Amino acid sequence: MLPLVSLTLFLPLVGAVLILCLPKPATRTVHVIAIITAALTLIGALSMWFQGASGAGFSQVEELQWIPAIGAAYRVGVDGISLPLVLLSAVLFLVAVIYASSLRERPRAYIALVLLLETASIGTFTALDGILFYVFFEVSLVSMYFMIAGWGHEDRQRAALMFFIYTLLGSLPLLLAILGLYLGSPEPTFDMRAWIENPPLDGAAAMWALVAMLITFAVKIPAVPLHTWLPAAHVQAPTVGSVILAGIMLKFGTYGLIRFALQMTPDAFREAGFVVLTLGVVSALYGAFAALAQSDLKRLVAYTSVNHMGYVIVGVAVAALTLDPSVRTVALDGAVLQMFSHGLVTGALFLLVGMIQDRAHTREMGEFGGLLKTVPMLGWSFVLAAFASLGLPGLAHFPAEFQIFLATLGSAPVAVVVILGIAIIAGTFLKALRETFLGEPRQRWQAMPDLSVREWLAVAPLLVLTVATGVAPSWVLDIIHRTTSALVL
Amino acid sequence: MARDLALLIPEIAVLLTAVGALIAEMLRRPRIALVVSVIGLLAATGLTLRLIGADTTVFGGSFRIDELSVWAKLILLPATVLSMLLARVDVRGTAREGTVYSLLCFATLGALVLAGAGDTMFLVLGTLLTGLATFALVAYPDTDPATEAAMKFFVFASVTGAIMIFGLSYWFGAAGSTLLADLPGMDTMPMAVIIGFVAVVIGLGYKASLVPFHFWAPDAYEGGPLSIAAYLSVVPKIGALFALAQVVRGLPPESGWTAVIAGLAVLTMTYGYLAALVQDNVIRLLAYSSIAQSGYFLLGIVAVGSSKLALTSVILFAAAYAAMNLGAFAVTAATGRVLDAFRGLGRAKPVTAIAMVVFLLSLVGIPPLAGFVGKFLLFAAGIDAQFTWLAVVAIANSVLSLAVYLRIVVPMYQQAATEFAPLGRSLGTVVVTTFAATLIIGLAAQFFLAGLVEWPA
Repeated sequence: MLPLVSLTLFLPLVGAVLILCLPKPATRTVHVIAIITAALTLIGALSMWFQGASGAGFSQVEELQWIPAIGAAYRVGVDGISLPLVLLSAVLFLVAVIYASSLRERPRAYIALVLLLETASIGTFTALDGILFYVFFEVSLVSMYFMIAGWGHEDRQRAALMFFIYTLLGSLPLLLAILGLYLGSPEPTFDMRAWIENPPLDGAAAMWALVAMLITFAVKIPAVPLHTWLPAAHVQAPTVGSVILAGIMLKFGTYGLIRFALQMTPDAFREAGFVVLTLGVVSALYGAFAALAQSDLKRLVAYTSVNHMGYVIVGVAVAALTLDPSVRTVALDGAVLQMFSHGLVTGALFLLVGMIQDRAHTREMGEFGGLLKTVPMLGWSFVLAAFASLGLPGLAHFPAEFQIFLATLGSAPVAVVVILGIAIIAGTFLKALRETFLGEPRQRWQAMPDLSVREWLAVAPLLVLTVATGVAPSWVLDIIHRTTSALVL
Repeated sequence: MARDLALLIPEIAVLLTAVGALIAEMLRRPRIALVVSVIGLLAATGLTLRLIGADTTVFGGSFRIDELSVWAKLILLPATVLSMLLARVDVRGTAREGTVYSLLCFATLGALVLAGAGDTMFLVLGTLLTGLATFALVAYPDTDPATEAAMKFFVFASVTGAIMIFGLSYWFGAAGSTLLADLPGMDTMPMAVIIGFVAVVIGLGYKASLVPFHFWAPDAYEGGPLSIAAYLSVVPKIGALFALAQVVRGLPPESGWTAVIAGLAVLTMTYGYLAALVQDNVIRLLAYSSIAQSGYFLLGIVAVGSSKLALTSVILFAAAYAAMNLGAFAVTAATGRVLDAFRGLGRAKPVTAIAMVVFLLSLVGIPPLAGFVGKFLLFAAGIDAQFTWLAVVAIANSVLSLAVYLRIVVPMYQQAATEFAPLGRSLGTVVVTTFAATLIIGLAAQFFLAGLVEWPA
């Protein structure tokens, strides 16, 4: 039996080391190695997907002693919550390296960082050991810092520093929570399965641990009022950085919210459920209104992420609050599917905005107009992704958000005000489409080329998956549902 | 007697090495002095390996062969060898080159005596031995800044040493013995315990550069040769901190010593990083950073006696700290003493730059590097000993430290057309060794923990 999870996890790292070890490789070689590595990783993720996950607990677990003296081990495995995220990471990183294959500025270091980030991302989703999770969680931070600082736009140093300090400050409370869980366990261990099986903390200790985790994950998600690093980082990050940041790294927060906060301190989460719910509602609405006010396309997409992740928080909070297992299942199904959909849709949107920026060197909506006539392929792709993002039925976000709202209505009807967010996001995107893609084409953009093959290869898989998830969500939902329906809190 | 001597073979080997290096220097053969020292110290390290797991005392309990003293040898002897390779770059071809290697051996012997101290007199002996050798090392270049630095260092050491001896007289009076193992007998005289303890903390704290006994450190680091700064920031410091751990093992917990250590930890970490934040000279920045790192050690020392993780965490962090700090100093030796000298290093010398980034991130405590495992265990020990607030302060300081170390990292990746000299063989060896150690201690912490802790897995 092949250790599929570990292979998938460390393949990108091997690719990165290979690229760094080659003496003065040609740019082309670097990109070819990157694409092959990412493709192999996707194959690995797909085989994991077809192995599937059994209902309760974790599947495909691989374990290796690491520091037995303190009960830390290399433990990886998946369940229905992490498996879609692993697949999402593999897909997004593949399209990211395809998109990046036109890069000529120090490609070696850049690609190595991207591949390191892929290992860190898949590692975060598959880690079943507290320390290991934290290790991957932080490694992702370091590689993203260097990506923004090295290849970002004008004000990149400041944005990178802000991102690094903000998220490091954010992630250290998690370290405290992990230590608390460790020391609270009857037999000290960092095994996350044991923490989930038998939550080690209760009472005030559990509440403190939950508060620490909420700080960490709220920064990462990001939830209002801890979101201020996001627009700065996105605006300055290179396109691939934005795709990965929004598509995958934001999920670290919501994934942690389910895996750690909900599963390891369930009682405390139930008590604090309304606070978290409020946090989610405020984030969703604030993100929507902030997006409406943007004139920069990239900032606009960044703020819609705050909105979409707000729905995920709402879903998880509802799952914690409700006493009815069937409602909880619906809420978690929605929340996990929302993460998956958001990765696809926002990934596509950031790629398309990046392509526009590559051509026009600006992202101000006011400077465009009629792009649908000038660059029809790019334009229609953007329209499709935008419609998916605003929650149109038949596209990826609809089944996810529908389930979240359904569960919310059933257990915390007040919170349904969050549905307003959909209307505002719809307005935001329609305004953006009108200003950028509709109307009379401007003379200045006449010569703008349409999508190249490389760009097609990057964006098409995401759009196809967006439609597939929207039309027949069951291919993802089945696997999510198997775990969420077996979840005992 | 024979058994005692057999257990002390590594220390004896270090002493013989120091003498051997001195003889080679008298014959005007500095190169041989270096070779003798390196081989002698490595042999002493090898001789220590069989002592792993030992827990006994020699000479009537006055010297301890336990995990602290054994691991001190395993960490400090290789660290001294690396410091010698660094020193070679600084002192090569100078008039009394061989004495530097000999003095380094003597100073290390002092640090080892401190780390294994089972008797208050060994504390005095260890601080004096390390002190005398290091004053001479700082003053070695015979320039005004070096002389001034050595002078400051000397005055500071004399005063703190005197205070320590004065305080130890209280302990002798109260316990009727100089053995550390007899300290619990003083629990009827809490005032004597705490007065003596404060005095010992002053004496060892200056060597470990704890705030507020740190004033000599930035000046001595900056004034003396860079290699000696690297050495001072690692070997005597770890020796003194291990000695502190030896001392507190026997103190009655109700005497309030934990409060003293916890308070010093907060001061040291916070002041160290705040001061480092405003330095433009990399040596001074690293000096303040090494002051702050001492504060992290205290997190483990405060937990001695109440957490099983305490000694483990202190030892592991010592190994990590020795590797990453020596590495950072080695890269600085090759690059330059001001922050601007690092501009463009990332593009001109990507491999050296990656190594430096790894050292600095490890100093912050970013996983999966050595500094992370060390700090993580220190936090765990602190929390286990009911010092959660101290762990929170330490974590907040880790964020501050990121800002400190990024001040070196950021210019490395800026555009600049600076020329960088090649590393050279000695510096190259140091960088590669410490780089490998920083990664391996992080990823294979178990190897270092083997035989250290017994924990229900």
